[in-house]
Amino acid sequence: MSEVVLENLTKKFGSFVAIDNISLRIEPHEFFVLLGPSGSGKSTLLRLIAGLEQPTSGLIYIDGKVVNSLPPKERDIAMVFQNYALYPHFTVYDNIALPLKVRGQSKSQIDAKVRDVASMLHIEDLLQKKPGQLSGGQQQRVALARALVRDPKLFLLDEPLSNLDAKLRVEARAFLKELQERLGVTTIYVTHDQSEAMSMATRIAVLNKGKVMQIADPFSIYRRPANMFTAGFIGSPSMNFIEGALKKDGEWSFVAGGLRVELPGLSFSSERRAIMGFRPEHIRIADEGIEATVSLVEPMGSIIYLHLNLGGFEVIAQHAGERKIKEGDKVKVRLDPESLLFYDAESGDLVS
Amino acid sequence: MNRFNLLLLVVLLIATAIALFPIYWMVITSLKVSSEIFSYPPVFIPLKITLNNYYAQGTYYGALSQTAVGSIPWVINSFIASIGASAIGTILIGAPAAYGLVRYIRNIWLSRLILFMMMIPESAFMLPYFLMISKAGWINTWWGLIAVYLSLTAPMSTWLLMGFFNDLPKSVEEAAQIDGLSTFNIFARISMPMAAPGIAVAFMINFMNIWNEMLYALVLTYSPFPSGAQTAPLFLTGFIVIEKSFAWGGLAAAGTFVLIPSLIVGLVAEKYLVKGWTLGAVKG
Repeated sequence: MSEVVLENLTKKFGSFVAIDNISLRIEPHEFFVLLGPSGSGKSTLLRLIAGLEQPTSGLIYIDGKVVNSLPPKERDIAMVFQNYALYPHFTVYDNIALPLKVRGQSKSQIDAKVRDVASMLHIEDLLQKKPGQLSGGQQQRVALARALVRDPKLFLLDEPLSNLDAKLRVEARAFLKELQERLGVTTIYVTHDQSEAMSMATRIAVLNKGKVMQIADPFSIYRRPANMFTAGFIGSPSMNFIEGALKKDGEWSFVAGGLRVELPGLSFSSERRAIMGFRPEHIRIADEGIEATVSLVEPMGSIIYLHLNLGGFEVIAQHAGERKIKEGDKVKVRLDPESLLFYDAESGDLVS
Repeated sequence: MNRFNLLLLVVLLIATAIALFPIYWMVITSLKVSSEIFSYPPVFIPLKITLNNYYAQGTYYGALSQTAVGSIPWVINSFIASIGASAIGTILIGAPAAYGLVRYIRNIWLSRLILFMMMIPESAFMLPYFLMISKAGWINTWWGLIAVYLSLTAPMSTWLLMGFFNDLPKSVEEAAQIDGLSTFNIFARISMPMAAPGIAVAFMINFMNIWNEMLYALVLTYSPFPSGAQTAPLFLTGFIVIEKSFAWGGLAAAGTFVLIPSLIVGLVAEKYLVKGWTLGAVKG
């Protein structure tokens, strides 16, 4: 069970910087998720660790050993690709057996391992079929089986669920997480889907434009995003942002246009231009508070999203639906000072 | 069926008719009695059918000797030269060259050069090839023919297969790399089988080109199997003039006979064309 360390890793494609001086450490047994929008460099980072790409500079350690010059097969890793990348002319059995055959294991050894991993993934009945005869979910399991059969040091997954339909994806998510916990193999998982990241990860690294924006556990990433990018990227609907200024007038307050939010009990190092962020669930309809006009009502089933005009700013509030609210209604809302986040207007970093 | 589909169907029928008519004409001519072959207006459906043309004799260097059925020694040579040049040119040269160009070298000028080579007319190489092959002592041999035919089949396969290899999902090769296959094994065991439909197409086009090739065979060979390597198209020329007249019936019969092996190869190759291996490799 292995750890991975990246040290000042940079990858350029021509003049395009895909990975910009990333250093991080992935602990043994960890389910580590690389999360970011397309073009953030998350897949490139995974391919660098796999050895499918060579870094422009920096070092990659697996278990304390620099692996930069090792080809993929000598890094003792397994990888599942977004499109599964099964060998279409081999049976499922031969697909799974290939990595063992290449390593010269005996026929009986191979047979035992293939059947073992097939039963673990519930694909025993498919062993004699060709990939073209399988459904997407079955192909995905075969790809997992091929990766797991070798007992790799490191398990790399590149958006393995994005080609499954929504229902299957939720099932596969739980299955993958349970499987990883049982096997305890260090896993690096690439996705652009925050719900996958939140539900499976031990820790998440949020990437943007080749840089690490934040590394933390899912709870902290959601509750205290370290910068505007992470704050806006994580959560659906997105966090609400209002640009204004932090002012001290005895007590601290946040002022933006006609909007003034008192911040009792909070203190900051200095007055500054700042962006206030709060999630839709942290703005509550109340009897007392700031006046707002409802511009749109979006029922989602269990909850309702209210689009509010709050002192000239458009924000979204999550409403449990205990009170009937129509478009055009005037309501009063409260912001819980504890849940408010402030970002520096210039750097975009969290102001604490 | 809407109007556009109907139009497509009509165009398709016309194209099929244009493609098949010469073959139809050759086959019925081979079965006609000579009065119908020469009658005007032409006879599209023969009233009398005869196999006599298949026993008509063609000239071979002035001597009346061969019938259509007697083409077998020439057909054997054609078969060996076509299969040999197509197999070596496609599998041993074209496929590795195309794979290398697509995956490793990626030089647009190198691939264009291959295309330019194919544009030069065969007759420009006739004399140099004759000199080279005679210096090598390969005149009138299979080796001589195959060596020269490779100059036609190898560039054709390379050019054609580049597209096929380029379309293969790269992730399958990367999966094989991670699974531990060597570069050569990835090519031979993963990429080649996945490109099988392309290889079948290239093989078939090459086979047909060589099967019908006459110019180089005329220059490089002079006698049929077993003494030499003369091929079927040259056998057919023996029917054109017999005793100062055209032997259309015999020529049509011999042409029909010579068509059969290439039809069989076409049917075998078709099996690989229809069922593409890439089915189910990747999703999305």
